[in-house]
Amino acid sequence: MPRSGKLVRITLALAAAGLVATLAVVMAGAASAKSSSGSVNGAGSTFVQPLVAKWENPVQSALGISLNYNGVGSTGGVSAITQKQVDFGASDAPLSQFNPTCTTCVQIPWALAGTGVIYNLGSLQHLKMSGSVLAQIYLGKITKWNAPAIQKLNKGTNLPGTSIRVVHRSDGSGTSFNFTDYLSHVSHTWKSQVGTGTSVAWPAGEGVPKSAGVAGAVRTSPGAIGYVDVYYAVHNHLGLMAMKNRSGKFVLPKAKGILAAAQLDTHPAKDGSLSIVNPPKSKKYRNAYPISTYTYVDVQKSSGNAANIKKVLNWAITKGQSYGPALIFVPLPKAVVTFDKKQIKKIHS
Amino acid sequence: MASLDVTDAARRPFTGRRVRFGDLVLQSVAGFAALGALVLVGLIAWKVIQGARLSISTFGISFVWHVAWDPVHNQFGAGSFLFGTVVTSVAALVIATPIAIGIAVFLSELAPRGIRGPVTALVETLAAIPSVVIGLWGLLVLAPLLRDHVDPALHRSLGFVPLFGPASYGSNVFTAIVVLTIMILPIIASISRELFLGVPSELKEGALGLGTTRWEMIRGVVFPYTRGGVAAAMILGFGRAIGEAIAVALVIGGFTGISVNFFNPGNTLASQMAQNYAGLQTAVATSSLLYLGLILLVFSILVNLFAQFIVRRAARRQGLAR
Repeated sequence: MPRSGKLVRITLALAAAGLVATLAVVMAGAASAKSSSGSVNGAGSTFVQPLVAKWENPVQSALGISLNYNGVGSTGGVSAITQKQVDFGASDAPLSQFNPTCTTCVQIPWALAGTGVIYNLGSLQHLKMSGSVLAQIYLGKITKWNAPAIQKLNKGTNLPGTSIRVVHRSDGSGTSFNFTDYLSHVSHTWKSQVGTGTSVAWPAGEGVPKSAGVAGAVRTSPGAIGYVDVYYAVHNHLGLMAMKNRSGKFVLPKAKGILAAAQLDTHPAKDGSLSIVNPPKSKKYRNAYPISTYTYVDVQKSSGNAANIKKVLNWAITKGQSYGPALIFVPLPKAVVTFDKKQIKKIHS
Repeated sequence: MASLDVTDAARRPFTGRRVRFGDLVLQSVAGFAALGALVLVGLIAWKVIQGARLSISTFGISFVWHVAWDPVHNQFGAGSFLFGTVVTSVAALVIATPIAIGIAVFLSELAPRGIRGPVTALVETLAAIPSVVIGLWGLLVLAPLLRDHVDPALHRSLGFVPLFGPASYGSNVFTAIVVLTIMILPIIASISRELFLGVPSELKEGALGLGTTRWEMIRGVVFPYTRGGVAAAMILGFGRAIGEAIAVALVIGGFTGISVNFFNPGNTLASQMAQNYAGLQTAVATSSLLYLGLILLVFSILVNLFAQFIVRRAARRQGLAR
């Protein structure tokens, strides 16, 4: 069988070449890793992913640490840090929402932003929307864009009669947590029927994975509505809802509105969590964007990589915040930064 | 029939006579490899059952048909996913089989020699495309196309059938069916082609010699001769369809509930697991996800056994016929 002998030889040669190539890549990788003083690996929230991705280069040049982040979703981040597969997990939902959760972790609020309600109606920008109408849309009770309830909020705007395509996350998501938390605050029906969670029993609509997936689905589906971190909305040139707050004002998820909402809770609870959703009617919160949120980084108190992790986190809550505004993340209030520094001190090797 | 004697000799067990060292080594190495496969399957089954135990003890057997997936209120059941798995796989099989057999007949009996090679290679390439690539293509290209052009047209012309209800979402059961069809088509086509080529040419020529047309020859000789094998190929494709996770997860729309309308979002056992693999908020939710895995495992094993049964029966029949 001369032919099959030849085949075997060719296969072996290819396998050997592959092995050599792999070795070369691994060695090169090891060499480049050695040139920096270390690395910090994290996984989790896709909400905060644009900001963390922006941090990777400056962290490398300022601290000589390579920061690697994998946007697997908030629930994935929490389970990864609980099982110590990463140096940090990032989640938009506080650790207390998970059971089992990471009991040996410190929770640090490290970014502040808004969840944008996005939609695709061509050139119609900045429609007005209220929490109760939004809840009815997501409950599947309002199905047309020119429904009286939406028309009433947007007097003078010529709304099309197209069907509303409801888009939500299909994976466990901190953005879903914030969004459903808000809907539970503004709608009793939502609270009793669906509730708050990283994944819920959605009464209507289509589920797609990840923030980028939701933004993509809304971008390609005329008449669609969805919810993502504001950065994805701006980046994809999507319509963004001006949400009615409890003072009766319609507010876009911009720095001013998010910062106003952040005044609701500036002193984190003992576990590090903060809740700034749907601030009450008051002069102080007149400009507040009602679906604002802190997002958290979770770290094991005892970690072999503690020195590097602490360096990166201290940088993230101070210098790192200056990269926020371009991505519509609002710099953390002073009181929160002070608290975070205390939390970071708890990490040790 | 000299070749038959050779295989008979090779199959004779190594009993009696003196045991040669080389044979002993071969037997133990091969035996360990076989044992490894057995242990691996056992370990996987054990781990899945262990992980699902909490959910099994909480919800019992009614989990299998209970239609609910509500992590907030701790209500879990596999009913809607089992329904979705069966609907998408059966529909994909129904669409894929005639096309695949058409391809196989063309490639084995009708195509000119120059076309056979390239087309066969293309069909096999289709089988080699990674499922995540097909899934992404389905999400970005196929879903909008179906949503804007195909779904509304089907609803307009066949809307009286409840399966083709009003269409609104791009990610829906029908998109998943089309994606699955594309994935199982090459499997059924290439196996059937091999089978058709294996039909003895004396039989085919005999039929043609009796004055049959090509179609009568294919219907009267090729199909009956390969019936068992083609059925097994279909079940192999079906098995691939029920287990496909990533591609379906990307296009099916993740909705829990039972709906006869193909154009509504849905979910399957495998895609529900793929969407939530990264973890859920509570221990019982994660355990329920593994319970879904257990159901899928049992379902796949049953399908596999059924395939073996069909192949054996067909082989026996053919043996009698000869």
